[in-house]
Amino acid sequence: MSVEEGAKFVAAAYAVILAVLIAYSIWGARRMSALQRDLDLLEKEARRRAQAGEAREEES
Amino acid sequence: MKRLATAAGLFVMAGVCLVAGLLLAFWYAPIDASSMGFSQKIFYYHAPIAETALVAFGVAFVAAIAYLRTRHARWDRLGYVSVRLGLLFSLLVMVTGMIWGKAAWGVWWAWEPRLTTFLLVCLLYSAYFVLRSVVDDEDRRGALAAVFAILAFVDVPITFFATRFLPEGLHPVVLRAGDAGMEGSMLLSFLVSMLGMTLLLAALIRRDLVIEEVRERIADLKTTIGG
Repeated sequence: MSVEEGAKFVAAAYAVILAVLIAYSIWGARRMSALQRDLDLLEKEARRRAQAGEAREEES
Repeated sequence: MKRLATAAGLFVMAGVCLVAGLLLAFWYAPIDASSMGFSQKIFYYHAPIAETALVAFGVAFVAAIAYLRTRHARWDRLGYVSVRLGLLFSLLVMVTGMIWGKAAWGVWWAWEPRLTTFLLVCLLYSAYFVLRSVVDDEDRRGALAAVFAILAFVDVPITFFATRFLPEGLHPVVLRAGDAGMEGSMLLSFLVSMLGMTLLLAALIRRDLVIEEVRERIADLKTTIGG
């Protein structure tokens, strides 16, 4: 097989590897930032509810 | 967050090794003298990805045993993440292997021992996710998944040794005991790529573990808050 012929297959194989690994890395990074955002919101809400509960206890 | 920073460090090291491996493969290692010719360059990522996939399933096997012994959720998470990454790497092996097969043998697929057992690995570990998705109870799911991961791992050494025990297949055998099966510059390129892929697997496992932990923390918080 000539270098020109082989190069097509080699380029295709490395393109697949690169595309899949980059896609998976980006998916992970986006998922991480989305989850972190949700976690921050929920923790804020949990703190707010805990403070409201404490305030009610003090009042009673 | 400290673990994410460690993962970032591993990503950088993996990137350096993978780029170095690629440069060595194309500019240092010679073109293969056999009939494979230039298409043999696929080997420098194909083989490390294959070995890394099997390592990931090995990690899942160890995590499964640890989970069954301790019943600690962190082992279940490690098993889940490792199988997912092992499957991702396995699919890459299958696709790059088919491309290489077409170039070297003239066919996209052949029912020969290495390819068939690797396909079986992919199918078995795909079933792992089906199993997880049909069991709701967390402890039961973890235990069943761990038992399945242990049973599925039986196919991993069979895949690895398939070309050694059944050498009449099309798939070449490299790295025999005491014989690398390739010349020094090729071996160096392969080993650098292998190190890069292993570091990449470690980085991805570490990052995905953090993702799973955050996901579980969110689920706990939602239960606590009540919606």
